[in-house]
Amino acid sequence: MKDLDKYTSIVGKAEIDEIKSLAGYLKGKRVHHINSTKEGGGVAEILQRLVPLMKSLGIKASWDAIHGDSVFYDVTKMIHNALHGQEFEFKPEYTEILEKTNEKNKDLLNEPADVTIIHDPQPLPLVLFRDGQERPCWLWRCHIDVSEADYHFWGALRRYVERFDGSIFHMAEYTKGLSIPQYIIPPAIDPLSDKNRELSSNEVRDIIQKLGVDPQKQYVLQVSRFDRLKDPVGVIQAFRMIQKWHDAQLVLAGGGASDDPEGVKVLQEVREAADGDPNIHILDLPPTSNLEINALQRGASVIVQKSLREGFGLVVTEAMWKGKPVVGGATGGIRTQIIQNTTGFLVSTIEGTAYRIRQLLSNPGLADRLGHSAKEYVRSNFLLPSYLKNWLLLLICQAHKGEKITFLE
Amino acid sequence: MAEQFRFYTEAGLVIHTNFKAESLKSLLIGLKKVSGSSIFYHMHHALLRRHFATSDQMNDFARWVMVQLGQTSLAERLASIDPMACHSVREAREQLISYVQDYVGAGELFFRVAEGNEFHFLELHSMVLPLKSHADDLESFYHGLKKTSSGTLFYHMIEAPIRLGKPSNDFSEWLKNSLNEDQLAEEISRLNPYMYNLYELKAEILQRVRNRLKELWKS
Repeated sequence: MKDLDKYTSIVGKAEIDEIKSLAGYLKGKRVHHINSTKEGGGVAEILQRLVPLMKSLGIKASWDAIHGDSVFYDVTKMIHNALHGQEFEFKPEYTEILEKTNEKNKDLLNEPADVTIIHDPQPLPLVLFRDGQERPCWLWRCHIDVSEADYHFWGALRRYVERFDGSIFHMAEYTKGLSIPQYIIPPAIDPLSDKNRELSSNEVRDIIQKLGVDPQKQYVLQVSRFDRLKDPVGVIQAFRMIQKWHDAQLVLAGGGASDDPEGVKVLQEVREAADGDPNIHILDLPPTSNLEINALQRGASVIVQKSLREGFGLVVTEAMWKGKPVVGGATGGIRTQIIQNTTGFLVSTIEGTAYRIRQLLSNPGLADRLGHSAKEYVRSNFLLPSYLKNWLLLLICQAHKGEKITFLE
Repeated sequence: MAEQFRFYTEAGLVIHTNFKAESLKSLLIGLKKVSGSSIFYHMHHALLRRHFATSDQMNDFARWVMVQLGQTSLAERLASIDPMACHSVREAREQLISYVQDYVGAGELFFRVAEGNEFHFLELHSMVLPLKSHADDLESFYHGLKKTSSGTLFYHMIEAPIRLGKPSNDFSEWLKNSLNEDQLAEEISRLNPYMYNLYELKAEILQRVRNRLKELWKS
């Protein structure tokens, strides 16, 4: 079990004590999380951490996943993609399939719970069965960017969503003008996970050397899927512009190309753009390469995330947590995280990216200042303890709705 | 015996107001109609969220006008509003409205931002939480303050005087009324949280308390 005290050296005793005090107001509360899978994917990953932490604080937290057949999962995958803005033809039978599967799972609601938290769209119709249950409070946690959701699909889901007592989104930009409260809780990274934990300089050097990167020469890094929306070719073009001033390397580390036909094409384009330059390393890493990504981020001089479109962008959070200056595309959650010239640089063009990379490589003092602020910003806002604290505040808030200031005694 | 000082901390849950602005005109409408809690969030709470650094646009309005609208002169004026010089959220709101109104009234051509770049008016449900630590005298106050988080500093130095209408920050009030430390109270009340990050602010307060303790020990 992950114990909150393990985070004391990272966020400070005062912060941990505050979280424990907040949890004191929720002791014995039954909080039931429901999503669609216990393994795989970001939601399962965060619940694997959040639920034990809640339990360790005296909250009766539990977690179940609904089960469905392959037709259900095909439909929910389509809904997921439509909510991300992809075009599909909406058919009323989709909601029938969704509701029937949720009805088969309604036994999950047999035990009473003070708060029922539904994650993402798949188990949304469970709310249809809330009447008559000893479950007074229902919250919907939306983990995906629904800002450009297909109108018909979102319209079909909205009638479930508005039966909840509140909804939770990662960012203000994801909200949907709902008639129920829309809370904003940003996602977070776990500073104790393999992807983020401290590594010694020897470990960093050994790992990056194994990946074929020269640890003696400074490098610029972008970690992302090989996807056009992450503009890896644009990053290569920006790197070309700085090469006449800096003898540096560029590392493009990504994955997922093997099972994604589009990814294979983009990877090919990236290789063509690199044109065999020995200073450009293109690493197609398996999804389990957490330590490798950690080491690459820690060894980099500048980290780039030149996305043209992005969700929250936790990869930026990870880079900032390592005290690195980040040059990020001015889109999505990157704009929330990068405060211009304070925690990094926001850019919109290849030329702008090149200029900022050059500036940071030339001026290590500037890079250190931005990296330091970036780390502090993450420490205060985007680490797992802050995430847990936000959840506790949300749960307490349900008993004080409509108030602007609540004095807890 | 002096009245005990109880340390509190503040944490807030962010809620969308369902109002967003895509131009200076709709920003102005928002500034006039949203709750005081929303103005407080964008104007004052920004200090807590970005407490580790001072930046060019500390409040969210100035930042949006600069980054999304590129209206540098208005951004500069909005950033210059010192939330601590305003005695209430209402005063801060009036100041914001007057700057935006003047600018919009000047009649230049103003554009709308692209979808996805709007200003989202958010508001804060603040939870004020008593801490176990308390102070009975200046020395225990010093040690108590040393251990507190930025949330505690934010509550006693910003939330209490601005949002709860107290005459000064909680530290100065207690030092003056319970310990008769009028000069120290005055020195702390002159510290402006808007001019520092919260780490620096804490260090400044601690230094003044430490100096006063040294004086007392000498005498």
